Amino acid sequence: MIKNFIISGSGGQGVLSIGTILANIFMLGNKFVTYCPCYGAEMRGGAVHCEINMSDDELLTLQNEKADFVIALNQMSFDKFISKVKEGGTIIVNSSMAKIEKTRNDIKYIFAPFTQEAIKLDNIKIANSIALGVLSKILGNLTMENVKKAYEKILKDKKELIQKNLDAYLLGYNYIQEKEYA
Amino acid sequence: MIEKSLLKGNIAIARAALNCGCSCYFGYPITPQTEIGEFLSLEMQKRNLAYVCAESEIGAINMALGAASSGQKVMASSSSCAVALMQETLSYAASDELPIVLVNVMRAGPGQGYIYPSQGDYNQATIGGGNGDYKTIVLSPSSVQECIELTYKSFYLAQKYRNPVILLVDGLLGQMAEPATITQNPYPDIDTSSWRLDGAKDRPSRNIHSLEPNQNKLNQHVLKLYQKYQQIEQSEPDWEEYLCDDAEIILTAFGTMARSAKAICNHFREQGIKMGVFRPITLYPFPYKRLRELSFKAKYIIDIEMNMGQMLKDVRLGVLSNSQISFIGKPVGDWLKKEEIINAIKNIIKEQYASI
Repeated sequence: MIKNFIISGSGGQGVLSIGTILANIFMLGNKFVTYCPCYGAEMRGGAVHCEINMSDDELLTLQNEKADFVIALNQMSFDKFISKVKEGGTIIVNSSMAKIEKTRNDIKYIFAPFTQEAIKLDNIKIANSIALGVLSKILGNLTMENVKKAYEKILKDKKELIQKNLDAYLLGYNYIQEKEYA
Repeated sequence: MIEKSLLKGNIAIARAALNCGCSCYFGYPITPQTEIGEFLSLEMQKRNLAYVCAESEIGAINMALGAASSGQKVMASSSSCAVALMQETLSYAASDELPIVLVNVMRAGPGQGYIYPSQGDYNQATIGGGNGDYKTIVLSPSSVQECIELTYKSFYLAQKYRNPVILLVDGLLGQMAEPATITQNPYPDIDTSSWRLDGAKDRPSRNIHSLEPNQNKLNQHVLKLYQKYQQIEQSEPDWEEYLCDDAEIILTAFGTMARSAKAICNHFREQGIKMGVFRPITLYPFPYKRLRELSFKAKYIIDIEMNMGQMLKDVRLGVLSNSQISFIGKPVGDWLKKEEIINAIKNIIKEQYASI
């Protein structure tokens, strides 16, 4: 079973950071995983996305047309990647920076104001971790131990940010608990 | 057990190079291989090793030639259109019998092309663009783990045969990260003291040059090189076989395309079709002999590449049976999709396999 993910946004939103963290979480869970970052010549402010493939078996198909799960952190990436969601797949959208609008009825939408929630936690930069928390909740099979390990690994030079990001992750994780999501 | 980490192909190559004693690196930035130089610029300085970001690719490869003649373990890295600039020096290094490891993380051509994915440098690597009768050993990894293992092997073969080795890497693999283990270098160090130029104190002087105005000597020199190539062709062909033993259809592919080929092979196997994948790991020396053996059982040989059929001619040279040889490919851009390849294969085999 292969699951494909696209995480997208603009440079500076931490798209590649949560991409690497998610890939590390899968690796720590003994899954096969590939992680491909894609960005243009510009970094901050430019369009950024990454693709992650995860499987229980050796990963043979490296590039996929469509993804089971897409995270879009702004309007531009929402517009760009809505067509890349597989039928029956899910898109998680940052409604602080994108209009709530459902143009497809064959996929699931989750809208949450990640940027506003991050501002409430006094750090706009951790909106990405809230989004990752939401995704984890839907996936349902990631252990908190591996999540913690992955954050510790990626943020080993910025230790003060680990707890903040884990708080944000948990906020995301619990965000849709009471909301309907089947 | 050594822990796995999530590694980019480029970083894996750079780390493996350091691990097996690469003492000099020369390069010039070009996407999609820049991380190799970026990583080494920090790490080699820490270790007091030679790192030069040269003024151009021509400068870089000639610095590599100079450093290699002093017996250093040398690596240079670049990409397609810039490796084209290095061809003259590769011919010199082959004639001078100098061990240089050159990493080519491919982008799309011809000419300037762009940073899109492509496997368009098979010919450039295996045939070469330099003048004269010479050969370059070419290794092709298909995973990040293999980037590490084949970097070790590149240094070993370069020194063992005193010949340039090209590590030919798909752009996708250079940029992609997957779990890999930095293993130990399994190869022994080769003694270079009999030929390197390290000062002639207490010994007769030596020189390394490719200029040879005496036609008999030049003739002898090329014949000697070809004896070496013959030995390489006998001892070094390396390949991977996937479900080939009973295969009636054999897919041939190199690099990451071989991974897609395996996925496709699994798809057809599930439908009861005896398919296998043959992946050359050494592109020179190409594993002709093994492909020839396998081809006698195969009705179809289908070559899949991200170019217009460059390895195809080696496949044709290898296959002496009556198998039908076909090609599926695309020159530039997103890797051929699984469905596209499956449909193309169905089209090729429909006469014999009407049921699918």
